Amino acid sequence: MTINNQATKQKIEKGENIIVIEDMNKWYGNFHVLKDINLTVKKGERIVVCGPSGSGKSTMIRCINRLEVFQQGSLIVNGVPMIDDVKNIESIRREVGMVFQHFNLFPHLTILENLTLGPIWVQKKPKEEAEATAMKYLERVKIPDQALKFPGQLSGGQQQRVAIARSLCMAPEIMLFDEPTSALDPEMIKEVLDVMIELADEEGMTMICVTHEMGFAKTVADRVIFMDGGEIVEENTPHEFFDKPETDRLQLFLSQII
Amino acid sequence: MNMKEFIAKPAKPAPSSAVGPVAWMRENLFSSILNTACTVVFVAFLVSIIPALFDWFFWSANFAGATQAACVGDGACWVFTKAWFQQLMYGSYTDGELWRVNICVISLFAVIYAATKLPKDYRNKIAIPLFLVLPFIWIIILNGKLLGLEHVSTDYWGGFALNVLMAAASIIVAFPLSFLWALGRRSEMPFARTVCVILIEFFRGVPVLALFFMGSVMLPLFFPEGTNVDKLIRVWIVLILFMSGYMAEVFRGGFQAIPQGQYEAADSIGLSYWQKNLLIILPQNIKISMPNILATFIMLFKNTTFLLIIGIFEILSTTQAALTNSNWLGGHSTEGYVFVALLFWICCFSMSMISNSIERKLETSHRN
Repeated sequence: MTINNQATKQKIEKGENIIVIEDMNKWYGNFHVLKDINLTVKKGERIVVCGPSGSGKSTMIRCINRLEVFQQGSLIVNGVPMIDDVKNIESIRREVGMVFQHFNLFPHLTILENLTLGPIWVQKKPKEEAEATAMKYLERVKIPDQALKFPGQLSGGQQQRVAIARSLCMAPEIMLFDEPTSALDPEMIKEVLDVMIELADEEGMTMICVTHEMGFAKTVADRVIFMDGGEIVEENTPHEFFDKPETDRLQLFLSQII
Repeated sequence: MNMKEFIAKPAKPAPSSAVGPVAWMRENLFSSILNTACTVVFVAFLVSIIPALFDWFFWSANFAGATQAACVGDGACWVFTKAWFQQLMYGSYTDGELWRVNICVISLFAVIYAATKLPKDYRNKIAIPLFLVLPFIWIIILNGKLLGLEHVSTDYWGGFALNVLMAAASIIVAFPLSFLWALGRRSEMPFARTVCVILIEFFRGVPVLALFFMGSVMLPLFFPEGTNVDKLIRVWIVLILFMSGYMAEVFRGGFQAIPQGQYEAADSIGLSYWQKNLLIILPQNIKISMPNILATFIMLFKNTTFLLIIGIFEILSTTQAALTNSNWLGGHSTEGYVFVALLFWICCFSMSMISNSIERKLETSHRN
């Protein structure tokens, strides 16, 4: 794969590296949050990141679309290096969708407007086309009848499914999930996970998911990553990860959450 | 095993002791001894004052006639306000041309009405641009030169219409300007931030009267030699800047109340800086800041009466002129100032109503 400093989009084939993180280091003031992170993700790969709170897992995936800035190391997303250039940042953000713990829907816009905002303003699509795409994705997440409501009128699970649909409307290459089910009532977690599993099965979407849903990790993930203290402690296939943890730290973590 | 079916209980109506006027009075007026005492004292106060007020305002008041001689008795002399009505409302604006002032005021209310009634799509596309050109249309209409109408110099503009139009014209320009200042104050660019902080703090920190004097005396020193910017325009600029200083801080409070997640969601979709701030942040900010925006606007509206100090014939100046008129000497100041107070109160109260309606319109959810 060739790398240039331009923000020109390249077609990356399935199985090629789509995210390359090398020696990434980040500090909040004097606090060292990310320590020498090295991670390579192939196109179509599904990765689950877990670890105790404060381990830097959210910070790491938020660096991928520059919601956080790192101080050392390099990051290449979809062939575009993450540098200060606004063009590169915008180009990367167009290819990376993100789903947040607290949904972050825009409360002053209807569901349909939430979904069409990006396609209309960023991708400059005509309104009719954007709305048709939006309705398609709302059907995929099984709430087309809520299109004209406002986010505040929906349940948490519905809001999170709308948030997933909003990201999908931008047709991203990569989806980042930042603890998507942590803020949900127990009865609603499954409806969101089902949508995510479907997405993984059908689309072959590259997914990085920070979550504590170990059942989801077992069924969907190609690789599970365990982080603690700002480091990647272990990464492995789900089978090896859960059955034969290599470090005592992971063993302790698993014994406490399962 | 047979599963027991769960049936939710139906809701029952509330008992009569919890709803209805009697329950309301018991709860709100007579709930405790102190509450009951307050109610009684307040009612007694109203009973003692209202008849006298009504008597002065209506029963003993003089409405008919056209000169001071028509005023007899103890009641209010509304003949005074009737005789001076045109002066109070329009200042010395040329007699036959008052329809131009009326058009300006009506156009203001028409656009406000349209902005609250139009569906959302049209509101943004029609009402907002209309608002922004209104002040300039007013200047053209009132001046009249460009339209081939009789030219009326700003020296003759005045009265309550001037207060209303001046306040409206100021807030219309101050609104976008203050949002920019507030954005600049949050900006990561040191230059923009410094400039905005200095502007905001200066115009908030200096008393508005001092600003008016600066506007009418000092500002001309900064204009190039030979240019003569009208006094009213200079005062308009001062009001805009003063208003912007306050509003920028109101908007800053709004910015801080918007959850960080909104910015992050907008970023992650790929919206640019301006798209993010205009499409996502501004509408939510206005909703949060609406009560404070209105408070600032009412303050500005009332501050337009300070224009009397620098010799502009707004309503207080015209009232004073009327009170010192040789035909009307002899204590009509109560009527004059009550009339002015009523006018301002009606306008400010209507603005409260409008702001409430806008708040309801923007209200979609308290949840994030």
